[in-house]
Amino acid sequence: MDPTTATDGTTATAVPPADTPHSPDATPAGAPGRHRPARRAVLRTAFTAAVVAGTGGVLAPVLFKDPGTPGRGERRSQAPERFSERYRGRDIRGGVSGLVPAGGQARPGEAAAASTATVAEVTIDGRPLHVMRRADGSYLSEVNHYESFPTLLETARAAVDELGTAQLSATTPHTI
Amino acid sequence: MYSRKNQRNLTRTEKKRLVGAILELKRSGRYDEFVSLHRQYYVTDAESRPRPAHMTPSFFPWHRRYLLEFEKALQTVDSGVTVPYWDWTQDNTPAASLWAEDFLGGNGRAGDRQVVTGPFAYAEGNWRIRAGVTDDRFLRRDFGRPSAPVTLPTKAEVDRALGDPVYDAAPWNSLSTTGFRNRIEGWGIRGVRGVGNHNRVHRWIGGSMAGAASPDDPVFWLHHAYIDLLWTRWQKAHPRARYLPDRAPAAGDPQRGRIFALDDPMPPWDAKPSQLLDHSRLYRYV
Ligand SMILES: [Cu+2]
Repeated sequence: MDPTTATDGTTATAVPPADTPHSPDATPAGAPGRHRPARRAVLRTAFTAAVVAGTGGVLAPVLFKDPGTPGRGERRSQAPERFSERYRGRDIRGGVSGLVPAGGQARPGEAAAASTATVAEVTIDGRPLHVMRRADGSYLSEVNHYESFPTLLETARAAVDELGTAQLSATTPHTI
Repeated sequence: MYSRKNQRNLTRTEKKRLVGAILELKRSGRYDEFVSLHRQYYVTDAESRPRPAHMTPSFFPWHRRYLLEFEKALQTVDSGVTVPYWDWTQDNTPAASLWAEDFLGGNGRAGDRQVVTGPFAYAEGNWRIRAGVTDDRFLRRDFGRPSAPVTLPTKAEVDRALGDPVYDAAPWNSLSTTGFRNRIEGWGIRGVRGVGNHNRVHRWIGGSMAGAASPDDPVFWLHHAYIDLLWTRWQKAHPRARYLPDRAPAAGDPQRGRIFALDDPMPPWDAKPSQLLDHSRLYRYV
């Protein structure tokens, strides 16, 4: 499978294209995640995984390995990812949960209309780690904004590595 | 018209004035507005929102304007200050004068990664991180990330990017395998290449620079001034090459409405990439 195609399919998102490019409605201006249900819906598409009806919720793109990422225990599970472990003394948990209807239609030319969206959630010592996705389905976190990881587990471990003994903020909006 | 200098050539006085102006912006609250702006415009290419700043062709012009705004703010404090650049292919060790006590201070300490030297050390009382990724109010660095070692990009790696004659290429995002823009922005692409140039420098510094609030570390501006200089160098090396895409993607193209073509105004300034291609009337690199 070509990961690029697969994942552009994943982002075939839930939100119909705006009629005019860069309409004010679609700009990221304003505090993300703080207002309007519409914004929430838009942001949630960041997590729209390749959960096409009938594929059993396989996060296909996530199974590829980023060559720029040092080995951190690749996951080959075919099920949606879920983990809970102690890593360098920290309690890390995560998983894909909260299946929500994505609504909307795929854009023409994009494969694999996402009919269902998932929400990825990761915590470190109980505090939420904000995660995002790239077009290839890999994950980024607010702690590592300039590299991505094939799995949520690697994303969480890398965040612990970067944090050292620091705690994630309890006050800034991490979750969408 | 003013000059942006290589940070290694700044005099003691120039360093002092730059640090002073940065601290004044911090004191007034202006600095933190710049940090928030960068965070706000971090939109990934899995999202359907417009993304003017990262994983996108307008990575260069968006950051050029962002730096100009910051520089203008610095100059309201001290009209003689400009943003210097850090050539990380040359000054590529923790021993570089950039990280000395009289300039940006050094690496973070073990454990909490807290920067404890120089004017941005927490104990100095002038640099409190607000709304950062962690609860800690101090600046964090972790040079070379010993937990999973990272090296700074070499001149050969930069030259490879400069040698690409095309500005950017489809799919116009973090997965563009060719084109100067993503070779410098540096997204790792499975089976193609690892994290490179611009992104790898953020990782090498680590701590605050690796995360969502990267401009919390003042080295951000010096790093991006060098990125800006590399764009100018690329233009000089390829005088016939142009910014791409020169027009909005066609209806049905997945990138339509998400990326900024030559004449699409970029938020928050409504500045078009076409207005930012040439900085020669504003500043020059020396
Ligand atoms: Cu940057």
